Amino acid sequence: MKYVILVKQVPDTTRIKVDENGNLIRQGVPSILDPYCEYALDMVCRIRKPEDSVIVVSMGPPQAKESIFRCLELGANEAYLLSDKAFAGADVFATSRTLTAFIRKFAADYDLIFCGKQAADGDTAEVPAETAAMLNVQQFCYSENIIISDTIKVTQNYNDEIRVCTVPKGSVLSVSIGDINRRVPSISDHIKALNIEIKTLDRIALGLGMYSVGIKGSKTKIESSYSPRYEHSGKIIDGTDPSEAAKLLIKEVL
Amino acid sequence: MGCESCSGGSCDRDKTGLPPGMLSEYNLNQSPAEGSLVWIEVINDGNTIMMNDSSKEILGKLQEISDGRIFGVIFGDTELKVLYGEIFSYGVDTLYHIKDKKMIQFQPEVYCEMLVDLCNRVMPAVVLMGATPRGRELAPRLAASLGTGLTADCTELKMDGRFLQMTRPAFGGNIIATISCDHFPQMATVRPGTFPMPEPMIGREGTVIYRQYYGSNYKNIISSERIISVDYDITRAKILISLGNGIKEKESVAVAESIAKKLGGMVSCSRALVERGWFPQSRQVGQSGNNVFPDIYMAFGISGSIQHKAGIGPAKRVIAVNIDPEAPIHEIADISVIGNADSILKEMNKLL
Ligand SMILES: Cc1cc2nc3c(=O)[nH]c(=O)nc-3n(C[C@H](O)[C@H](O)[C@H](O)COP(=O)(O)OP(=O)(O)OC[C@H]3O[C@@H](n4cnc5c(N)ncnc54)[C@H](O)[C@@H]3O)c2cc1C
Repeated sequence: MKYVILVKQVPDTTRIKVDENGNLIRQGVPSILDPYCEYALDMVCRIRKPEDSVIVVSMGPPQAKESIFRCLELGANEAYLLSDKAFAGADVFATSRTLTAFIRKFAADYDLIFCGKQAADGDTAEVPAETAAMLNVQQFCYSENIIISDTIKVTQNYNDEIRVCTVPKGSVLSVSIGDINRRVPSISDHIKALNIEIKTLDRIALGLGMYSVGIKGSKTKIESSYSPRYEHSGKIIDGTDPSEAAKLLIKEVL
Repeated sequence: MGCESCSGGSCDRDKTGLPPGMLSEYNLNQSPAEGSLVWIEVINDGNTIMMNDSSKEILGKLQEISDGRIFGVIFGDTELKVLYGEIFSYGVDTLYHIKDKKMIQFQPEVYCEMLVDLCNRVMPAVVLMGATPRGRELAPRLAASLGTGLTADCTELKMDGRFLQMTRPAFGGNIIATISCDHFPQMATVRPGTFPMPEPMIGREGTVIYRQYYGSNYKNIISSERIISVDYDITRAKILISLGNGIKEKESVAVAESIAKKLGGMVSCSRALVERGWFPQSRQVGQSGNNVFPDIYMAFGISGSIQHKAGIGPAKRVIAVNIDPEAPIHEIADISVIGNADSILKEMNKLL
């Protein structure tokens, strides 16, 4: 089997703080492998057989190699970074098209594609389904468990429905939850990863035109953005005496 | 005239995709796109068939911001007929009913194929659906298939003629961006609970057009089980008592349940307590849990991480009980009680 995992590097959103005006303080916030992507990779590493190949691919700036390296430590055995100045500012459509071009050209014989359910930063959850549509294959979002025997079966969680489906080869799966007891890479994983080259591919290598990628290939445009100030009254109550606090709270809700 | 794949001959597009009588010259440099198309999500748990609330909210908003025609789409068999009247009462003018037994179950690939076909026929300027788990899976597939953009999880929509301005939060609501799309149809998913529930216009009528799917691209669904009993769905609660890592005593769960019962609310939690095994994931609020829309959200011992806040954006009032006056939850709280969550819960329960 040949697995492809689409990964993204994101700022560690659990560590982003907000200043008093509601602006994000991004300085000093480390970049990490998106947690949902890590869940997806972990799922693949648990089901793979030793002879299977696990390819990770990420679109991003050269610094994204750090996250790709982490994927290699976690068990991937081939890695690509899609990087080009022209890719900057890509919306979901342009991103999915770039990833699709990679798959068509460099991994056309894959069996399954895995993604994180969403990226923890942008939170749009669109790349898996857009990529599946562009490749004209089936999609399985919110995957929680996968069983590979003669057939491939996946369990999906729609919050109000749990379903089990057969997965045809070529499908795209997005993974929504991770195992809290995920394996942590060891020293020998680290050394193994050091010996694998992360190949960088640019726009020309992917065979994409200027107007197919990045901000020029995007269909949506950000018109404006701002940090909202919360206009809550923000009353502060001393709760040292629990019964006094409870009385006040009840008055507020009733 | 009329297209052969619709029943009733009431479809007014001919093969050129232009409205009747319009000269093709007029189409040279201007898209004829107009009106809005909405996927109406149907909840069907075997006993009851209902329109999803988020579809109603979208239809209400559309009537407020646009004067164009509203097209609706539903997937399923004859059992959906009971919904026609209701769907029209919320403002749909023309309802496309894709009649197919297998489509009672959510089939993103096939739904998408049919929607592409409909969009080519109807040429809507806007396509909307709820940012429910299914809407968030279907919309990007459709957008990519149509070669258009998509703005996910919008909390505000404005229309200028047929052009749509879409507003969405990112980073747990710390950034709000307004986005436009330079292609028709402009697509968005709308965060459930953001727009008010409209009043139905009882007795309002519309046209139903049946269509059929002739392909075979169905998913093979081996089993499907509904997991939320309609009576404990935290996304419908008006008051939420929400517990987090600051809760130290297991007993507080029962205390919170008791308070919720007395107030007519429900109990939810942060991911920390799901990880502790105190609650099932269906009770979790946040990015990897549920989006909730209560009138009052009471956070007991919850720090207010970006991932948690992402789920409580549209809550009308937030009350935080936290021992730490610096916890980020206070940024969005209307009332902050600085104190011990376990003991305040206990006292509240006594007083109620
Ligand atoms: C990809 C990803 C997705 C995630 N999705 C979600 C999600 O959907 N939902 C979610 O909730 N989290 C999510 N998280 C986790 C999130 O980052 C936080 O770790 C989590 O929300 C913390 O939960 P908490 O606020 O209950 O706990 P903590 O952050 O530990 O906060 C506990 C709070 O309790 C206060 N406290 C301590 N003792 C007391 C006391 N005696 N009385 C009163 N207050 C007290 C503390 O001051 C503190 O503010 C996600 C994380 C990642 C990486």
